[in-house]
Amino acid sequence: MPNGKPNFTGLWQALGAADWDIRDHSAHAGPFFQLGAIGAEPAGQGIVEGGEIPYTPAAAEQQKQNYQNRMKLDPEVKCYMPGIPRANYMPFPFQVVQSQRDIAFAYEYASSNRVVNMGKFQPESVDTWMGTSNGRWEGDRLVVDVSGLNGNSWYDRAGNFQTDSTHVVERFAMPDADHINYEATIEDKTIYTRPWKIRTVFYRRKEPNAQLNEFKCVEYAEELIYGDLKKK
Amino acid sequence: MRHRLIMLLAVTVLMTLVAFGQAAAAGSEAKAAPTIAKAWTQPKTPWGDPDLQGTWTSDDCIGAPMNRQASFGDREYYTEQELAQTEQRIERQQQNDLVETIAPDARVTTGPPGHWGERARRPCRQTSLVVDPPNGRTPDLTADARRRPIPEGAGNNNPKADSWEDFSYYIRCISRGVTGSIFPVIYGNGQQIVQGPGYVTILQEMVHEARVIPLNGRPHASPNVRSYMGDARGHWEGNTLVVETTNFLANKTGIGLNGGGTPTSDALRLVERYTRTSPDEIHYEVTIDDPKTFVKPFRVAFPITQEPGYRNFEYACHEGNYAMFDSLSGARAQEKKAAAAKAAGRN
Repeated sequence: MPNGKPNFTGLWQALGAADWDIRDHSAHAGPFFQLGAIGAEPAGQGIVEGGEIPYTPAAAEQQKQNYQNRMKLDPEVKCYMPGIPRANYMPFPFQVVQSQRDIAFAYEYASSNRVVNMGKFQPESVDTWMGTSNGRWEGDRLVVDVSGLNGNSWYDRAGNFQTDSTHVVERFAMPDADHINYEATIEDKTIYTRPWKIRTVFYRRKEPNAQLNEFKCVEYAEELIYGDLKKK
Repeated sequence: MRHRLIMLLAVTVLMTLVAFGQAAAAGSEAKAAPTIAKAWTQPKTPWGDPDLQGTWTSDDCIGAPMNRQASFGDREYYTEQELAQTEQRIERQQQNDLVETIAPDARVTTGPPGHWGERARRPCRQTSLVVDPPNGRTPDLTADARRRPIPEGAGNNNPKADSWEDFSYYIRCISRGVTGSIFPVIYGNGQQIVQGPGYVTILQEMVHEARVIPLNGRPHASPNVRSYMGDARGHWEGNTLVVETTNFLANKTGIGLNGGGTPTSDALRLVERYTRTSPDEIHYEVTIDDPKTFVKPFRVAFPITQEPGYRNFEYACHEGNYAMFDSLSGARAQEKKAAAAKAAGRN
């Protein structure tokens, strides 16, 4: 960029199986045998530093409950906004447009988006799904403080969850033109015994015709959400 | 609730217009809109593009009718005298808004409070949002378009709630389409523009749309890739951002407010022009060309402005769509009640 900062503008996407489970996990059958191999869950190396999420015992129990009821409870099933950090490593690309000041993130999944305010720090005025993002530069690293999360978001399809006390600090660095090293420190004294970190990589989509597409998934979830209220 | 507020607003607008119609003719016509402010130069981004960044709103033309009232004929702008009346109405409304929120004996109703709405800050000078053809009215629908069903919540007078599919894509919180996402309505009119080298993004509060517009001249996506918000491509003509959008899905949203009205076809092509005319104003216009829906292309234009303290908030529409639950469950409850009454009548 003309101001000497790296330019994150572009179409990015994470690889791996973090959206299934941000922890190390084996492959296993999905909940619907009708989908055959398509519905099975691939194995994946976790993105949690040290492997485990430091849940309190009650929170660990909550995660297990979430997992068992995931087809009812996972916000992704209902096409709800994914929250942060989940939006970043879902199996969809996202577009970054970086100005001389603010930075826009447009996520393909559910048309969710956020603008990182790079001006004077603005505390959240209300809790939201995507939170309030305030950014700053630490040298060539973009640091984004995410607060005001409404606590309804999960980290993955495995029931790992956050609350409205969760505070996320993201760090984006570009080791070269086509990769972003991403890490996020997550803090929430109400459910974690200590702050913990996730780390992953975003890859630049290089296909000449790659572009952000539209995935307005509401209509794929309506039968599931409202089906019992349909006229018989 | 959203329906009710819209109805209320429509009635108010109608009454104001009737008053205007009577007072018309006399007085000189107000000055045309898109003139560039004197002693102001369009700022540029560090990489040399005209800088349109900021959060803009179409609030000033809230309530302006899409189609011009016939009594105005080809008159595009209100007279200064008519505008003065609107100015007074805006002042009264501002006073009323204060009363509503602070009066200890404020009436409690089932409708949403007035402060949910956004308000015009100054009179909209235009007699209609449609500016071309010269009569300010949407061209006729094609025969094919007249047969196209309009979902409930998008202008249908025979509402039913058998299924979510009876509701508009707006009420379903899916999308209002490109024009529906900028045309002025009761709230959620915010348009945040963020530019980067090679791109313009327009983030629209309602229903959390983010239009990513490449400027590098790349061709449109394959016609097999279609969407509610279409495939946008932009370029600069002087200081004007021109955005051409195609690849729309057929039979989804219309060109009415909130994407209402007769749904457009897969032939829809929009050309929008964003021209910053002063630090706080962009002249917006869009040419709507859909030969399968309208007998000829037409143009809608209005100003969007930057206002102190105005910004986008997250519009988590689907996540909080209690209206859909309530409409469907209410309809089922009514059917149950009617069936019970019928059964009781038989016994």
